[in-house]
Amino acid sequence: MVSQVSSRGRLMYDWPDDRSDELEGLSEQSDLHPYDVAIVGAGVVGCALAYKLSQYKLRVLLLDKNFDVGEATSKGNSAIVHTGFDAAPGTLESQLVTEASRQWPEMAQKLKIPFEECGALVLAIDAEQRDELENIRAKAIKNGVEDVQRLSAEAARQLEKNIPDGVYGGLLIPRESIADPFTTTIAFAEVALANGVDILLGAEVLQIEDADKPTKKLITASKDQIATKIIVNVAGLGSRKVADLYGGGKFDINPRRGQFLIFDRYSRSAIKRILLPIPTANTKGVLIIPTIFGNLLAGPTAEDYELDATDVANTSIDMLQSLLSGASRLYPAIVDQPVIGAFSGVRCNCSQGSYFIRCNDGQHGVLTVTGIRSTGFTSSPSLADYLVRELHEKCELKLEKDPEAVDSRPESSWPGWWERPYSRNGLIKESPDYGKIICTCENISRGEISRHLDSPLQPRTLDSIKRRTRAQMGRCQGFDCQILIAEIISEHCDIPLNKVTKRGPGSEIVYDATTIVATEERG
Amino acid sequence: MSSTTHFQVVVVGAGPAGIGAAIALSKRGINSTAIVERNDQIGGIPALYKKKKGGVRTFVRWSRGGIPVFGEEYAKWLGSRLAKTKTRVFLQSQVIEIDAKERKLVLVNPDEGQMTLTADAVVLACGAREESIAERGWLMGSRPMRVYFTKQLLQLVDGNGLLPMRNPVIIGSDLIAYAAAAKLKVAGSENAVMVDNRPNPECSIFERLYFRRWSNPTFRGLTSKSVEVVGSGSASGIKFSESGEIFPCDGIMVCGELVPNSELALMGDLKVDLSTRKPILGKGFQMSESGWFAAGNILGGFHGAEWCYFNGQYVARSVIKYLSQSG
Repeated sequence: MVSQVSSRGRLMYDWPDDRSDELEGLSEQSDLHPYDVAIVGAGVVGCALAYKLSQYKLRVLLLDKNFDVGEATSKGNSAIVHTGFDAAPGTLESQLVTEASRQWPEMAQKLKIPFEECGALVLAIDAEQRDELENIRAKAIKNGVEDVQRLSAEAARQLEKNIPDGVYGGLLIPRESIADPFTTTIAFAEVALANGVDILLGAEVLQIEDADKPTKKLITASKDQIATKIIVNVAGLGSRKVADLYGGGKFDINPRRGQFLIFDRYSRSAIKRILLPIPTANTKGVLIIPTIFGNLLAGPTAEDYELDATDVANTSIDMLQSLLSGASRLYPAIVDQPVIGAFSGVRCNCSQGSYFIRCNDGQHGVLTVTGIRSTGFTSSPSLADYLVRELHEKCELKLEKDPEAVDSRPESSWPGWWERPYSRNGLIKESPDYGKIICTCENISRGEISRHLDSPLQPRTLDSIKRRTRAQMGRCQGFDCQILIAEIISEHCDIPLNKVTKRGPGSEIVYDATTIVATEERG
Repeated sequence: MSSTTHFQVVVVGAGPAGIGAAIALSKRGINSTAIVERNDQIGGIPALYKKKKGGVRTFVRWSRGGIPVFGEEYAKWLGSRLAKTKTRVFLQSQVIEIDAKERKLVLVNPDEGQMTLTADAVVLACGAREESIAERGWLMGSRPMRVYFTKQLLQLVDGNGLLPMRNPVIIGSDLIAYAAAAKLKVAGSENAVMVDNRPNPECSIFERLYFRRWSNPTFRGLTSKSVEVVGSGSASGIKFSESGEIFPCDGIMVCGELVPNSELALMGDLKVDLSTRKPILGKGFQMSESGWFAAGNILGGFHGAEWCYFNGQYVARSVIKYLSQSG
């Protein structure tokens, strides 16, 4: 029998001056035993695919240029698990979203992903919109979402007491849900790793050799050569650049920015469900979205940028003000709620249509997956299933179930903010660090931070700890805890404090790792 | 199971205001007082301004002709006064739950795990923090590393001996901002470019002249309606949106503009003005629920350590009056 430990995949980080030891032998080893599949891009789709492939007896590598999984497109979204009620019926997107929405409740439980079926309410705010509700209902039923309910104005206000007095009625979508987007990507990757998938982070693919041969070679920025039989390009906004390396066919992508406002936790009690306006010809409108973390979001905007634009992830005052006025049409008192932050999600928009998937793209054994827009978070499990089938049918990937593979994470994986460690009897007596609160906005303890530093993907950056623990994500935005967390990372992982980064090289906490404060007084 | 302990008065926060209140309560015969502090030391923000050769003395005290001292010295003085009282101090203790009607607080700390305190009166002396970029409303852009609050600067420079930036841009222009500019210059950085959404610095000319001894920041009043943070990995500049003008930098300080730490008040459904985050007060610094008081920088505005200390003492008198009337 293969023990749990030996079946684990290798976790490799390509830090500029601290490369994982396993990286040294990687080129040689993969030359002798090429990977069956190399997944380029560790966003939610790449990680979900690694998770699904890890159920089979395959040699799989998941790699990304960033220093954590889910560090690009997958970290900024509305975190809605859609039922697909308003998708265009008959598309692959609608089919996958509908399928995934039924898998989510059980999957969230297995993977220990915080998940809540909060429901959604589409509101008609004038008489004309009231008629539109019927069309939306018909569309929902066409999409297989049959449990939607028309509500009178009074019934809508009974469910949500803070919506405007003048609403003309609503449509309730009971199964529309919210989940923790960060934990989702991490959970997929952790289970994949446990099942033997190798993960390489901090490694950008700059060159592909022998793309036309049965065994292809990915060459990273550090000149590591990775031999693989199949390449899956799920590099999100980097997918065009990667496709050019293997001569992939024509598709055009660009970043589409969606800005969101984040409201403080006290606002969450005011709105329980996702509130949606009736979409118009020009816009889908501004949504109000409760988050699993207990905040409210207002957003998103939709602003298209050029592929090489540098300021895509910015936020802008004008847009944020228009979000606030849009959101106040659904919940007027939102203007009085404190805003604690703003963020931009960047979706990958494809001119040739969303969910652009092409098998044997330019070369045999290459799968291009791009244009996965915001619904990709919801659809990731069913999309990954679909991709596995495509690989099997069109790229001759042999699928043999691995009887030892697991499909869930251990009970201890629940994030601390979801299952409070301090409410567990005796835990603090045993490990006092769980009683040392570091993030005072979200009440996150030193124990939780250390536990996540030791978690399977061994995160080392401030942002990766933020996404796992919620520390620094509260109203003070790190005023109290950011430096303390940097100190904990430094101490726990034996990294000099001045080399701790926010999200990898180039984002160190000090401008120059060598400078120590001058002690003499000047003139 | 968590234990419950009763005190006549529980003070939340061991900064100047909380300590001032505890000392005054003790002087006036209240023997059972507890201070709950989330940090591992008392003294609040002043304690972070370390006494060092080449350090910058800041305006902690005003009473003796406004002689600037090191915050750490003042915090030590507070500590020695507090040690002479019988006040019970709970360090590293975070309040996670409040029942305002019952005057009950649930804490978490490493020694006891969860514990419950009840009291006849509670004083919230939780201080304030600096407004985040999003809260200021005129700063947008990217979210890179090396955008720091003053507290973080103190933790890096005084706490760890690290210089976070060489060419700083400072957002804000009050005393805290000028003190930060001086602190950075002394630690080895260049003179800062200071940006604020007002035509002239918030600091008085007298205060600016005082800090001139250490540093001479260039002030840039806001000429356009907003500025943007520039930088992908780390902060690399600040851009005036309308003119497009960019000031390059390798780090940004976000200083001053204090927001009251009124989270516990909100948690207990005590009335708070949501736009300013100030607790809504009645006579004698009483909050909206009977037996709850507020003292120090949680009241709003920017007050020096000594002001907070005296305010804490003043609020203690009001607490004693309340206790004698209700008891």
